[in-house]
Amino acid sequence: MRSLPDEEFMERIADEVELTESEAAPARLKAKVYSALVQRQSETGPLMSLTEIDACGSKLCVFENLVRIAPVGERAKSLNICRVCHARVLAEHTGNAPIYWSGCPYVQLKNA
Amino acid sequence: MMSSPAEDDSALVAAVLRKDRKATAEFVARFADDLYRYLRSRLAPMYDQVEDLVHEVFLAAWESLPGYQGSGPLRAWVMGIARHKVQDYYRARLRAPESIEDADEEPVAPASAWDFDQLLEQDERRKNTWRVMGCLPEPYRMVLIWRYWEKASAREMGLKTGKTEKAIERLLARARAEFRERWNDAQSS
Repeated sequence: MRSLPDEEFMERIADEVELTESEAAPARLKAKVYSALVQRQSETGPLMSLTEIDACGSKLCVFENLVRIAPVGERAKSLNICRVCHARVLAEHTGNAPIYWSGCPYVQLKNA
Repeated sequence: MMSSPAEDDSALVAAVLRKDRKATAEFVARFADDLYRYLRSRLAPMYDQVEDLVHEVFLAAWESLPGYQGSGPLRAWVMGIARHKVQDYYRARLRAPESIEDADEEPVAPASAWDFDQLLEQDERRKNTWRVMGCLPEPYRMVLIWRYWEKASAREMGLKTGKTEKAIERLLARARAEFRERWNDAQSS
């Protein structure tokens, strides 16, 4: 049996017990963070256009693809169109949002 | 050919900086769970602040991303920002006058001796630590985590909170004694 002063006792506890949690971040939090980041990015200039993103090989959602092939300028294709998408609203406010579109970033975050 | 983790990190950073929204989603997906778990563990049981801090860390990371040199893993870099945010949070909470207003009191007497030969199993210790931490007054909980899990010195904590090193040492002494007393109570109950 060993007596330890409080200081050493705490050091031993800290060494032996890792203060970690196992709970994953809620999907709605990931969605909100993503929306906030893209919003911040769009405030400092245009986002990468959907044409460029597609050329890089990234998958676009059906809505993004419609904008990409639409007869509009690149500037319009650089807008943050998720702002007007109901998938974003659902993802930000629902734990398990009923969204399934391939290429949708909110679906990716829900499944992450 | 598969890219190395460093190349992968650099490519992700470059894409996020080019405002590629798909890369931004990948950035969030890659680090959100780790950040969330870390921040929960450091703020427990004040969970209502965790989501705000996750937000702050990501926004701070995005703003600092041009400075990422790629000299270490991106995950460690992001977690470093989180650690700073936790310290900022502790600092703000501990700076409140009521947090350590009785810091000049003498430390309470050390609790009874501890027998490490009879330590509980690892899982039981972890649960007990969480249980005790959850019952401690917030200033005590913060200084203990800051000192023993975040490995900050009393001097560093003093500088960041505007308190003297001595005042922090006294607060730590009381926090340790309180922790140990509650730990022993939990063991005997």
